[in-house]
Amino acid sequence: MKILLAEDDFASRKFMSKLLGEYGECDVTVNGLEAVDAYLMALEDEDEDNYDLVILDVMMPMLDGYQVLDTIRKIEKERNLPAEQKARVIMTTALNQEINVKKAMEIGCDAYVGKPVNVEKFTILLERLGFVAKK
Amino acid sequence: MSDIIEEMLEEEDTQKGMYMTFKSGREHFGISIKFVNEIIGIQNITAIPESEEYIKGLINLRGKIIPVIDVRLRFKQEPLEYNDRTCIIIIDVQSTVIGLIVEKIEEVVTIQDEDIEPPPKLVHGNAMNKYVWGLGKVGEAVKLLLDPDKLIKDEDLEFMEEAAEEAQAEENAEA
Amino acid sequence: MSQEFNTEGMLDIFLFESGQLLEKLDELVIEKKDAESFESDDINEIFRVMHTIKGSSGIMMFENITKVSHKLEDIFYYIRESKPDNIPHMELVGYVLDVSGFISGELDKIRDGEEPDGDESEIMENLEKFLKTIKHEIQKDEKKEMPPENVYVAPSQFYIPPVSTENSHFYKIHMTYRSDTMMSNIRAYSATYALKEVAEDLLFTPEDILTNEASADVILKDGFKMLLQAQCSKEEILEMIDGSEVEKIDIYECSAKEYQLGFESNDAVIDLTSTVEQIEEKAEKEKKEPKPGDYVIKSKEVGKAKKLAKNEVKPKQTFISINVEKMDQLMDLIGEIVIAEAVVAQNPDLKVPGLDLTNFTKATGQLMKITSDLQEVIMSMRMVPLNPTFQKMNRIVFDSARKLGKEIELVISGENTEVDKNIIENISDPLMHIIRNSVDHGIETKENRMAVGKDPKGVIKLTAKNEGGKVLIVVEDDGQGLNKEKILAKARKNGLINKDIEYSDKEIFQFITLPGFSTKEKVTELSGRGVGMDVVVKNLSNVGGTLEIDSVQGKGSTMTMKIPLTLAIITGIVLKIGSSTFVVETNAVKEFVRVSEGTIIENPTGDTAVRIRDEIMPLVNLGEKYKIEGYQVDPERDVMAVLEHEGKKVCVFISSLIGEQEIVVKPIPDYFKKVQGLSGCTQLGDGSVALILDVGGLI
Repeated sequence: MKILLAEDDFASRKFMSKLLGEYGECDVTVNGLEAVDAYLMALEDEDEDNYDLVILDVMMPMLDGYQVLDTIRKIEKERNLPAEQKARVIMTTALNQEINVKKAMEIGCDAYVGKPVNVEKFTILLERLGFVAKK
Repeated sequence: MSDIIEEMLEEEDTQKGMYMTFKSGREHFGISIKFVNEIIGIQNITAIPESEEYIKGLINLRGKIIPVIDVRLRFKQEPLEYNDRTCIIIIDVQSTVIGLIVEKIEEVVTIQDEDIEPPPKLVHGNAMNKYVWGLGKVGEAVKLLLDPDKLIKDEDLEFMEEAAEEAQAEENAEA
Repeated sequence: MSQEFNTEGMLDIFLFESGQLLEKLDELVIEKKDAESFESDDINEIFRVMHTIKGSSGIMMFENITKVSHKLEDIFYYIRESKPDNIPHMELVGYVLDVSGFISGELDKIRDGEEPDGDESEIMENLEKFLKTIKHEIQKDEKKEMPPENVYVAPSQFYIPPVSTENSHFYKIHMTYRSDTMMSNIRAYSATYALKEVAEDLLFTPEDILTNEASADVILKDGFKMLLQAQCSKEEILEMIDGSEVEKIDIYECSAKEYQLGFESNDAVIDLTSTVEQIEEKAEKEKKEPKPGDYVIKSKEVGKAKKLAKNEVKPKQTFISINVEKMDQLMDLIGEIVIAEAVVAQNPDLKVPGLDLTNFTKATGQLMKITSDLQEVIMSMRMVPLNPTFQKMNRIVFDSARKLGKEIELVISGENTEVDKNIIENISDPLMHIIRNSVDHGIETKENRMAVGKDPKGVIKLTAKNEGGKVLIVVEDDGQGLNKEKILAKARKNGLINKDIEYSDKEIFQFITLPGFSTKEKVTELSGRGVGMDVVVKNLSNVGGTLEIDSVQGKGSTMTMKIPLTLAIITGIVLKIGSSTFVVETNAVKEFVRVSEGTIIENPTGDTAVRIRDEIMPLVNLGEKYKIEGYQVDPERDVMAVLEHEGKKVCVFISSLIGEQEIVVKPIPDYFKKVQGLSGCTQLGDGSVALILDVGGLI
């Protein structure tokens, strides 16, 4: 399983990549622009698998989480990707206002996870989204 | 003055027997110093209309507004003009702070309990007796020890009611 | 906790809305518990509530709540679609309340930061059995069709609230090392390393402690700063980071908001220039929906707090919470400053003839302006709008009107009026009682209203406004009004009043506030919780307020609460009557007139009046009334002050005017009996005490 993590904070990056490492191969980017690049590259490269799961921090340099999410969904629509091939996108952020959550859901995220991340629930969430830890 | 009092107050055991004494008319009075906050000189008094004669009004003590009463008038004596020897004893009784205007301050004395005798029985016409709870002997002199609570409260009304009731009861008994 | 942050967090909204829904559900069900069955409106309502809770709890993955709400929704779905007969109503009522109770319990756990781990299996069992019964009823009846399955669409988007921060503390840490410390940067690093175990989040500056040797100099000069989020205590932190070279460690616990603002956020900016309305407007406008691009980070370096691009130029506005005791202290101090200022500006030492005080006067003028501004800010800090209190009344009218089957609309205005924080606490209950009275006893039932030609919907107007140094809160209803005769009779019967005196209407209405009075034979659940009108008046008087009652039988009643503003610094005119000094609030003084300009009229009753130009008004000789020593009116030199209160005028003899100044209103000590015409006292610049005139009391 391929996972893309976009997180600009060093500590969070370490934490998340450790957590996600249990589920699959995790590529890490440090800003929104890099994340979109990585996503596109995987799509276009025949030999590379697409990302199954994308974790996006909302507050990032270059492009913020919403912009990345928006871009990914637009690309998927453009290319008429079937549902199973669409990436699952999880937003992670310290912002928990209803407005922020609703906006992300409207643009099309699969989940919105408040920081600090509730690891237990996050694990259950991944299960619900169909991801299984490799143990 | 208040420093001395404070020092004395710190010695718990001796506190009980210490009294602030002052002169009013021909009598000498004493008040337990546990009620006394401080002594100040006479100040400008602002009269409050419609109050009892002995309630002279208000003074401003470092920002606090404090009512003051004239002890002589309280004892229904002839009032004396205030001069620069007139003092105000600031007392604190059950969180009511009041100033007593007295003619002349005397010293703080120690009176042991055994030197205090109960006051003479209530005699009609002698306004003073209500407020005196004991007679303290200091050397040759006798100080009338005052109960500050009774001093500042308006007891006359109650007194008259009691008297009226007594009179009524007597009448009924005779009938 | 959520109140403090005011963030409209997703979780908070869920808890709040679900709580509200369950409350409404409980009310509805309890109301109908004795009925034979639920009506279709009720069924729809219950279905909707369960549907909503199912959905939102599903998004947040609160499994047990989702399960029970889904099952109950199912039951009501079938009832709604097929309307089966013979539904065991009491049993159903019981199950609805069980579900509601269970969910409430789980919500409480979530609120407290605990896991909603309640066991729903028993309820689920009961609900399953009940559902089977319902389905059976439907099948039994040939005329009824089995509706399609209530398909459960699982949520496809989820929200996970952050780990509960109830136990998380936010700290700002400042470490200072001894000036001869070597490699302070490495030592700083070990401090951060020690904290990494407990840190939920850790930021520090300078950040390049490992990579840049020069950071050691920065640390020696400015100290090493850290922002830490952790569950441990200050003491535990100290233990972890203290070291041999450490000279001082300052640990300060801050709020999450302060923490999020990073190292630069040391000053809370209080908006001094805008009015409350303007500030609210600005906040409203800023509450826009986030657009993509809103969260692009302008600059982010490891260890520094994030700076959003769009926030670059704006000064940071934030809120801090303050201990009310400190506010009280501040208020007292500002009062003292006003007095001290007067002592300086009017010091007798300055009365040297020929002294040029130009510069001095300018300087004191400046000082007074600053003090005045200071007063205003402090006053505004304690003032809180009535809005939330008023909004609570909406619910009360709604609930009580519904319980009584009456239709009532509450019209609110002036809710932005501000009062001192103290006051809000003391008027909430009285206000509630008065409004409940209007609903319970004032507004008639729909039928009765229509019978007398009124709109079946009753109206209660709740208004707040400022008037002459007081706040007025008015409750006006268009109900049946008060019955004067009944009140008079009742008061007489209970021996509360003197039988021989003729009372005015206003006085009669006031009787209902006497202890031991009640015209209602039965004390209803709503307005009779042992809280009578007498208690209302007592609560009001705790804050120095009064209650005025007016009513027209058949048309309605008006209750007016009048409460003085607590911060009693007013501008007053200082004057002398004989040897006594008085102060009157500037606003109350209309004009000063020479005695010769007015014509004095003696009434047969002994009262005096005066005619000035074409107006006649009562004339009071205060010097005489208050028995001021040695006072005599001097018709040549004395002046009459025309004072006004609530539209009524009165004229008073005064001997001389001293001037206008700001004064601190202090109450006359309790030791004195209340005097008509006096509302307080104050200390003047020369230390003497002046009495404050209460114009209303003189009329």
